[in-house]
Amino acid sequence: MIGSPDVVAFTREEVYEEPLQGSPGLPEEYSVPLFPFQEADSSPWSRPPGAKFSKDFILISEFSEQVGPQPLLTIPDDPRVCGAFDLNYFSLRIMSVDYQASFVGHPPGSSYPKLNFVEDSKVVLGDSKEGAFAYVHHLTLYDLEARGFVRPFCMAYISADEDKIMQLFLELSGDFSKASDCLKTGNRKAFANELEKKLKDLEYTRSVLLAHLEEQRKTDGKGFYTTQAIDKANELANVEKSIIEHQDLLKQIQQYPYRKLKPEDDFQPFLPESPCDCTVTGEPERAAPSSDTEENPADEEASEYHPRASYTPKFIKAKSAKCFDKKMKTLKELVDVYFFVQTIDLLTRLERRYRGDVSYLLMRHLDQTLLEQQAISNFLFEDASTWNTKAFDRRYEEKLDASQSLHDSKYLEEEQDPVKPSASLESYKSSVESVPIKIEQDLFEENGHTEVLIQGDQVEVAEYLDVDIKGSISSGDSIEVLRTERSASMLSHSESQPCLRLHPSPQQLRRKHSGRRTISEDSIEVLSMCPSETIIPEDFRASYQIAINEEEPCVDEECEELTSGPDAAGRSETSVNELLIDPACCIRGDDSSPVQQNVDLSPDISVGDTIVSVPPQPCRLPDRNFQVKVCVDNAESPSMETACHRLSVTEPESVHLLSSREAKRMSSEEHLDSLSHKSSASTCSDRTPSPPPISSLSERHKRKAGQNALMFIRQYPFSHPAIYSLLSGRTLVVLGEEEAFVKRLVTALSIFVPNCGHSAKPIKPWATSPLNIVDFQKWKLIGLQRDASPPGSPITQSLSRYRRYASVLDADNKTLCCPVYKGSLLQRMADHRTQIRKGSTYYMHVQSMLTQLSSKAFLLTFCHHAQLRIHPDDVEESVCQRRAAFLHQLLGLSQDDRKIVEYLSELLKTHYVTEAGTQLLPALRFNYIPSILYKI
Amino acid sequence: MAALCPPPSPAVAKTLVSMAGPSPVLAATFAYWDNILGPRVRHIWAPKTDEVVLGDGEITFLANHTLNGEILRNAESGAIDVKFFVLAEKRVIIVSLIFDGKWNGDRSTYGLSIILPQCELGFYLPLHRLCVSRLTHSIRKGRVWMHKVKNNGTERNGQSIIPMLTGEVIPIMELLSSMKSHGVPEDIDIASTVLNDDDIGDSCHEGFLSNAISSHLQTCGCSVVVGSSAEKINKMVRTLCLFLSPAERKCSRMCRSESSFKYESGLFIQGLLKDSSGNFDLPLRQVMYAPYPTTHIDVDVNTVKQMPPCHEHIYNQRRYMRSELATLWRATSVEDMAGDSAKHTDESFLPDLLHMFQDIHHRDTFVKSFLEQVFQLKPNLSIRSTFLAQFLLVLHRKALILIKYIEDDTQKGKKTFKSLRSLKTDLDLTVEGDLNIILALAEKIKPGLHSFMFGRPYHISVQERDILMTF
Repeated sequence: MIGSPDVVAFTREEVYEEPLQGSPGLPEEYSVPLFPFQEADSSPWSRPPGAKFSKDFILISEFSEQVGPQPLLTIPDDPRVCGAFDLNYFSLRIMSVDYQASFVGHPPGSSYPKLNFVEDSKVVLGDSKEGAFAYVHHLTLYDLEARGFVRPFCMAYISADEDKIMQLFLELSGDFSKASDCLKTGNRKAFANELEKKLKDLEYTRSVLLAHLEEQRKTDGKGFYTTQAIDKANELANVEKSIIEHQDLLKQIQQYPYRKLKPEDDFQPFLPESPCDCTVTGEPERAAPSSDTEENPADEEASEYHPRASYTPKFIKAKSAKCFDKKMKTLKELVDVYFFVQTIDLLTRLERRYRGDVSYLLMRHLDQTLLEQQAISNFLFEDASTWNTKAFDRRYEEKLDASQSLHDSKYLEEEQDPVKPSASLESYKSSVESVPIKIEQDLFEENGHTEVLIQGDQVEVAEYLDVDIKGSISSGDSIEVLRTERSASMLSHSESQPCLRLHPSPQQLRRKHSGRRTISEDSIEVLSMCPSETIIPEDFRASYQIAINEEEPCVDEECEELTSGPDAAGRSETSVNELLIDPACCIRGDDSSPVQQNVDLSPDISVGDTIVSVPPQPCRLPDRNFQVKVCVDNAESPSMETACHRLSVTEPESVHLLSSREAKRMSSEEHLDSLSHKSSASTCSDRTPSPPPISSLSERHKRKAGQNALMFIRQYPFSHPAIYSLLSGRTLVVLGEEEAFVKRLVTALSIFVPNCGHSAKPIKPWATSPLNIVDFQKWKLIGLQRDASPPGSPITQSLSRYRRYASVLDADNKTLCCPVYKGSLLQRMADHRTQIRKGSTYYMHVQSMLTQLSSKAFLLTFCHHAQLRIHPDDVEESVCQRRAAFLHQLLGLSQDDRKIVEYLSELLKTHYVTEAGTQLLPALRFNYIPSILYKI
Repeated sequence: MAALCPPPSPAVAKTLVSMAGPSPVLAATFAYWDNILGPRVRHIWAPKTDEVVLGDGEITFLANHTLNGEILRNAESGAIDVKFFVLAEKRVIIVSLIFDGKWNGDRSTYGLSIILPQCELGFYLPLHRLCVSRLTHSIRKGRVWMHKVKNNGTERNGQSIIPMLTGEVIPIMELLSSMKSHGVPEDIDIASTVLNDDDIGDSCHEGFLSNAISSHLQTCGCSVVVGSSAEKINKMVRTLCLFLSPAERKCSRMCRSESSFKYESGLFIQGLLKDSSGNFDLPLRQVMYAPYPTTHIDVDVNTVKQMPPCHEHIYNQRRYMRSELATLWRATSVEDMAGDSAKHTDESFLPDLLHMFQDIHHRDTFVKSFLEQVFQLKPNLSIRSTFLAQFLLVLHRKALILIKYIEDDTQKGKKTFKSLRSLKTDLDLTVEGDLNIILALAEKIKPGLHSFMFGRPYHISVQERDILMTF
């Protein structure tokens, strides 16, 4: 390939241009563009030229029998989202491909109308000229006044990225099916209520007509029938026929064939428990929980559609209104308000979940999948929220399955028995199916995670509740929306005809409700409610507490399992030395689950492998001059402090310690990075930021940490030794007078701190009391307040006492006292000349480099050549030499880089032999190495 | 005019296709929008089976349904739109390509569709892109065909388009059938791959394995493995599949031991058996039409060859497609049009095709280090799988950073990307092979990245070379 610009002068214009001109005669519409990005501004990030909307949105449309296809509502309900996009036209387009195989009406051979429960159809289509592509979910709702009793609707996810729709087809299909099921369940309930009301009206009408006839018969004793009497008789006959028809319809809707749904469609808002239950429960159809309806204003509106006990039947006139005279019900009226709110909440979450660039969405999924495959090592540097939830849930589900198999369906009931408030909630029933609904806290998905945090740390709860605000948590297997205050207010604001408007407030999603459906062998529907603490009625608060209490036995059970090994009792006091066996020998080929791996640790399990019989070897750094190991039992979990730290990053940060120029630059770069976040995650299809896997708070934290880290490595020439301290397990104390500035540095350095287990990072962002030795065991990065008092103050004294065993970064004087670093790993990880300009990008870069480090540590940990005696006459020194050669030759690591990998390897071993989830702190180890004072 | 009318429904012309194995396809249809009668079906292709799952009436109904609403069609000139249906009531899925074309001087809307049972949704979705890509090119040719036959006055009984479409549709049905029987499963046991060997040289030479995996990653995970032993080929196919995502694995095919499959454009990995004389058929035109460049791995002689990187491949592909369509456009008779279009393409372009597989120019450190390290771990344990997952995570994260870096640098494509050198330094991708691997992964995540980065400069350099050749 010749690329020298010199030769361009010799090119012949006509030949040079030929391939761009296309083939002679072939119309361009039949040809293929030579370049993927033909237009000047087109790029992999650009949107289709015709796209008139700014980001993806959800559209609900109806094929009205009166006015044809019409848009009803969009999510989000912001006119700027749709822009100039013609919703009417697109509704017409998407509704025109509807597939309606249903037959409703009088089928041949049947004298009564027959409801056909049609399965939803799903269509992906697009309009290339408008730059709009859509996943369209068609569904049918029932309406007593509609033609054939059916109203066709569709929910469409509209995007400018065609590939996004197809690549996420299965996920979209699953999630919209849940929304559809929810909507249809609410519709069946409302339809049944409507039928019951109608039946009461008809009964009343019949009784009135009968009375009239009787009266006429009495008054007209001659036996002649007047015309009026004949009309009344005909009318009565029609009413009686109508009664039979409506009774038949009611019977049909109550016998909805739930089993028609495929097994994989695991979400069914309500399932009939059993036919006998309907009779046993006695209460025919009043479904809403009494406490809830009394307290929640939303039910005032809901009650409009519920047949009240005090419902006054109306007389039905013989001639009903003409088709076009009558006012069709709105979508909100067609669906029970409770389910309507659930559906809208679910769709709102879906919109947020699928927002952003498809490449980031897919990569996030791939990331999670790969992280799940490396449960042994992913705790080191990964954000626990991205994978821990799933892993925890999976473990929990396994345990739950096991316990459920033991206790059968009575398990949950027994668990709930001791707590009185749950009993009242169990009486909640669906009016359609007369199904008792149990209230139960969600045990799966993110809620399980939340509950654990609730137990451990209320601050974490606050954060994770905020997590839910962002709406980026997948709904998983269950719909997790229940009635909320916001929902009620939203509905009160929505118009009645014809288009619904939603006005979600920022607080709306804070009210996270979690619902879980449990299907016992009797197909009992269990739906839980967990409104936020701000609006939880007393009974719901109780159920919330129940959920927390329910969690405990399982956690305890897990702990029991974890401590059931032969050396379990003393495990927490076991020093690292005692734990250092070759984990490679303990891994079974068929299973890598932590619990089972733990079982493998028992000394008598050799499985015929001679290496396994080798006793555990100590892992000592050959060059250590001094080493102290102290074990502290029952140490406090670091999660609290770290939670504080996490929250602290959102605080306004001071830049006044920097020069005005620096501060200005920092501010502009932050702004740039903020913009970057908004734009980077957006795509050709969407300009909005991609939501993070768990929360945008977390994403914001990452961005901020990356930005601060980038500043740190640029402004501090001694960034490498500081990072080296952290990566090699030496505690770094950031000393400073101003809290905000110290916290800023702590945030910057936090991304380099390895985790010690399945808990938050060992970081104390701000300490104001003198440090003691336990702090050095718990924390690897400490922000310490500098005393204004003279050097004899307790804080300064405590620091000077441990100074030789810890690195100290003086934020005020911009000095660093720590060991020298002479490696090459950090040159690439923290290069002050880097052209990376944005914090989020730098964070990703560091994360990638740290993943490489984890991989090296994993290799060292599980490579038996580097850990164990190969020959019986091997002495420990030869193993150390072999390990050094392994690190140097195979991994290409220098002396200092080796220390990093060896430290990480030790963490891996410790974590491996203890169990995931246990809060065992690492052994306290001081490694005395001469320090050097760095100054700017 | 009456002679040109299709037979009335439901007596739609139908071609029964004999399939070697089980066919997941229920039928393929070609329908059009009649300005008076609405959607009409012109032809049906269905596998020849004993059991009729869908009757002709139902197929016709479904095919008509694909054109529902197309009276509102408002597409850009030359657009080929894709519609995808999951009709639970009918238990079918339909992929339908809708396009405008001129036939008999009238402009109308057409739909070429494939109907599968709904239970094959999971099977079909990973293959959707492949099917759409293949059908799209068939339609491009079909449109020229439809236009030409009228102008040449060579259409007889309105059926001349059908043989051409038959030649395109049947291979797709055969491909889906072969994928059903020999598709790679989503989960691969590492124990059945080379990575479970005790040592690196046990199954194949170290350098060969390293080259194969490296080139495979550099060509976006698209490889053809050929050899004389099906077992050996399949072991290599499974090994390479470890480096693909689960969805990509489902778009890969094992080698058939009895007789070789034909090469299929668009699969990620496919194993092909050589014949008794040690030869195999690799149709260059189809290799050129694959969405990514391909690595050619011969397990008999341990050779690895690769096609040029993505931007060159895409450029050559489009150039070749245009050439093929132009040749079709210039054809003067039906016989010319019906012949192998490859031979009509621009003759001057062919020499490039013949040299499109070349030795690997750029060595990498990622794969080399990985292989050196993974064999240090004990086999038959899950730790090698874990180590592989870590390796893939590193690669994918680097690819995502690369995308983000370019996104930041170019303000999301608004500016030209000029800082490749900085990118290499900042992201530690100074080794050319490493950069190629990460770029290839990034291309799959963000399609068009190569062309955006190198497209125009590459095109200019090719022009310069062509000009110099004329001196």
